[in-house]
Amino acid sequence: MTRAILAGLTEFALTALVIGLVILAVLVPLALSQPDPLEVLRLFVLGPFGTIRHMGNILEAATPTMMTGLAATIIFRAGMFNLGVEGSFFLGGLAAAATAVLLPLTGLIATPAAILIGALVGSLACIVPGYLRVRFGASEMVNSLVLNFAFLFAGVYFLNYVLRDPNAGALMSYKLPGDFTLDRLLQGTRLHTGVIIAFVACLLGGIWLYGTRSGLNVRIVGWSPGFASHLGLASSKLLMQAQIAGGLIAGMAGAIEVLGLYSRFSWTGLPGHGWTGITVAILARENPFLVIPAALFLAYLQVGGDMLARNLDVPSEIVGLVTAAIMLAVTAAAIFRHPAFLRLIRDIKGKEAGEEQGA
Amino acid sequence: MIEFFSAIADPAVFATVLRVMTPLLLAALGVLISDRAGVLNIGMEGIMLSGALIGVLVSAATANPFLGLFAALIGGGLLGALMAFFINGLGTQFIITGIALNMAALAATTLGLFLATGDKGMSGALKSGVLPNIDIPLLGGVPILGPLLSGHHMLTYLAILAVPAVAIMLARTPFGLHIRAVGSDPKAAAAAGISRNRVQLYALTLSGVLGGAAGAYLSMGYVSWFAQNMTAGRGFIALAAEVMGMGTAWGTFAAAAVLGIAETVAITMQTKGLPSELMQMIPYIVPAVMLTVYAARRQAKARKIS
Repeated sequence: MTRAILAGLTEFALTALVIGLVILAVLVPLALSQPDPLEVLRLFVLGPFGTIRHMGNILEAATPTMMTGLAATIIFRAGMFNLGVEGSFFLGGLAAAATAVLLPLTGLIATPAAILIGALVGSLACIVPGYLRVRFGASEMVNSLVLNFAFLFAGVYFLNYVLRDPNAGALMSYKLPGDFTLDRLLQGTRLHTGVIIAFVACLLGGIWLYGTRSGLNVRIVGWSPGFASHLGLASSKLLMQAQIAGGLIAGMAGAIEVLGLYSRFSWTGLPGHGWTGITVAILARENPFLVIPAALFLAYLQVGGDMLARNLDVPSEIVGLVTAAIMLAVTAAAIFRHPAFLRLIRDIKGKEAGEEQGA
Repeated sequence: MIEFFSAIADPAVFATVLRVMTPLLLAALGVLISDRAGVLNIGMEGIMLSGALIGVLVSAATANPFLGLFAALIGGGLLGALMAFFINGLGTQFIITGIALNMAALAATTLGLFLATGDKGMSGALKSGVLPNIDIPLLGGVPILGPLLSGHHMLTYLAILAVPAVAIMLARTPFGLHIRAVGSDPKAAAAAGISRNRVQLYALTLSGVLGGAAGAYLSMGYVSWFAQNMTAGRGFIALAAEVMGMGTAWGTFAAAAVLGIAETVAITMQTKGLPSELMQMIPYIVPAVMLTVYAARRQAKARKIS
């Protein structure tokens, strides 16, 4: 057991090393173009830990991506490259706003009802491509990619013709009634109770995936469809379960984002948290428990980038470059499947396996 | 129906269809080449965006739009080659590579625009060039046909000429054969001595060159400036067009034309104050339906055989 943990730590150390190098590779040339290069590095790396408020900003930024990361993790674990998380997030936010504007709900049930409806409607964007794949064998990747935009424009139509407040100037919904909100947790930030939901969701997701029979079955289907059918598992049903679960979580994430941060719904483009969620899932090696630190880490980069933008006139887009580079680096088989590294991991683990055999 | 055809025959409407179709067609042909080689180019959106910025920056710096176009082609090709290096050299998945490229391109183009102009939104301050329209001699004077076929953007003609070129390349040249071999059965191709890595490198580079051309058209033809995220999902529509085209150049051409007409109708509706959002959905719903129907028919056929 200790050896397994040691092997895990070795892989983590390599990941951390690679990520550190990637950040330096992007940041150092940028820093050198500025009058005070060291200040750029200091602000980006240490700035987010400077004050409680900034740390609150990290949690705030990680709230949606923890949940979209969890959604993507569950979907990927079932072996599907369904990219509908982005569409689900958008639809979930829209549906929550629609619930708030259109339904005469008040009091304590208002927010949970909006989140539930957001989750249900949002899940469509993951369920449709998943179903078309399971039922007809159509590529879920291409379908989810194009349908995300179809759901976006359907949503914008709905916003424009049903929810739009004609007196608001720009294209945005009526004000969401006061009962439809999540409480703020920290003064000076927009951190809200949604972050607790996100933490709990990731923990429950991890327990489900590693601790229950249906979680195990989903992992088997994703890992080896052939083996799953030999075991007599209902593969189609399990695949759909994972798509539905992922879609519900992503839709819920969108609903929580809208209720927690905004007083009106005004998304007219895909907000991008679904894509970040995919990065989070990849960085977390598709492990729900690791989704939490992965999302926090990307949020930390985001806050660092925002601080650069505010204080030094360095565009925060630099973070997009860093994130993309990290995404490639941590999936590079040339690094993480390198024979030398695999041998090292096997040496660390291997003796234990031998001992077990001997005993 | 007659109304529809007479509307299309109207030179102004026809020109609009060609205008919106050109970037889709160029990019979709690029996607086609990559797909046939077994590495679907999801990064097309990012390559187009990069091509659009490179074209504007280089044409502004050199005061020569052709140098801008040339640089966009080179830049697109290099990005395609970079994808191939990551996929086959470093062993990343092609889907993740494409997603990462799109993410990086959105960030890098905004950053590049900011460094060049101090503005993150638009390149209005730069005096960038526009690629010319071409009047075809003799044809221009012919009634009805002349105004329809002559006087379009040079990249529009290039896009249309690229259709038979890609079709012939894929069907009748050794390189096309290698692409199809690697795409349909990499192991058999390897046994025949065809290097997958090299073929995919060339295919993605070519795909990137076409994407660069599509991007250059957007910023030096469709409009005369670069704006943040100006591709606005066109790379994904191109992906959809290729899927609708069922993996052939002529099919991709037909799909790009259909999607171009749909977008033209959407633009027309928008100017008349009609709900254009529903029309904007068409370029995304039609490919999903076609893909599903195609897959369902293939599945049914497979069942019949077994």
